[in-house]
Amino acid sequence: MKCRKCKAPAEVALPSHHTAFCRDCFQIFFTRQVEKAIRHHSLIKYGERVLVALSGGKDSLTLMLELSRLEYDVTGLHVDLGIPGSSPPARAKVEGFCERHGLKLHVVELTKHGLPIPDVKKYINRPVCSACGKIKRHWFNRVALEGGFQVLATGHNLDDEVARLFANTLRWDAGYLSDQGPCLEAENGFARKIKPLYRLTEFETACYAFLNGIEIHSAPCPYSGGASFTGHKELWANLEYTSPGTKIAFYDGFLERGQPAFAHVEKHTGTPLAPCEACGSPTSTGLCGVCRLKLAVAERRAADPDRQPDRQE
Amino acid sequence: MITVFVEPDNETLTFKRHSTVLRLQEQMGLRVNDALVIRGDKLLTPDDRLNSGDLIRIRKVMSTG
Repeated sequence: MKCRKCKAPAEVALPSHHTAFCRDCFQIFFTRQVEKAIRHHSLIKYGERVLVALSGGKDSLTLMLELSRLEYDVTGLHVDLGIPGSSPPARAKVEGFCERHGLKLHVVELTKHGLPIPDVKKYINRPVCSACGKIKRHWFNRVALEGGFQVLATGHNLDDEVARLFANTLRWDAGYLSDQGPCLEAENGFARKIKPLYRLTEFETACYAFLNGIEIHSAPCPYSGGASFTGHKELWANLEYTSPGTKIAFYDGFLERGQPAFAHVEKHTGTPLAPCEACGSPTSTGLCGVCRLKLAVAERRAADPDRQPDRQE
Repeated sequence: MITVFVEPDNETLTFKRHSTVLRLQEQMGLRVNDALVIRGDKLLTPDDRLNSGDLIRIRKVMSTG
């Protein structure tokens, strides 16, 4: 197989694009996809400071490296979940990556804030992935606003976005469908959220990470077994295999013809937001979801005869 | 014989003979873009031939949370 552009031996075959690239031409292809996403959806404006959420996986580290090479003003944010055996190696990968590339990094330790994920799993009767996602999004936004960042970037790729869109569509969840997309503008106490990798697949970000020598944390979260997202991704991988190009067509079609309709409906039915009484984050109730979680965990931990009271912030 | 190390499962497999990367992926139940196929410091494409004595790394790309 030869590179479509320079005819050198190819290293990356992309059936969805009916093409293949050598490593140098793949880098150009990758960068152009990111630039296209940023330009087409006005994701980052000149001079803005960008906070990049870093989990230690291939997508977030790839995004950080690519945005820094495009000379955006980026700072990494890692949320240490406090999961024994899983969080320390993930954090080490993020810290090592930022040090190697001379990139700024901010770390939030959930244990210091009274919400280590093992306690959330133990004391809260709801799916831990849902609670963990809520807590991470809370801290992403809070650090962005408190740190004076105009933009919060996450490494969601096309596979993530299609799986999420599919899940939202299965439930016809108008609220989520109204604001899904590569850019969610800043409003009501939320920083602008962007997904510059939305045009690239997991395979493509994995190729980028490998070709650029990025050391990634690849072990799955010990709490994520049976997550429905994985099943949806499998289903879409089969569709893409039999009909290459289906994923991007589905997602682009939604952005063009579906999302605006849901946004119009939600504008008339959406719930108004106000600052949380405890932390100031936007919420539709008096106390935001994360502060309610924190209170519930603290109460149940204090009542647990197996646990000494932990030191809180 | 070729040796295949599968990530992130950390599993080592051996295969007596395989003609191409595509055949290896089919044998392992993988679609073309389900995993990186790595030999040394190079990525392989589905039509690349595998040779006896090859050490191959299969790095699955689907993140699971």
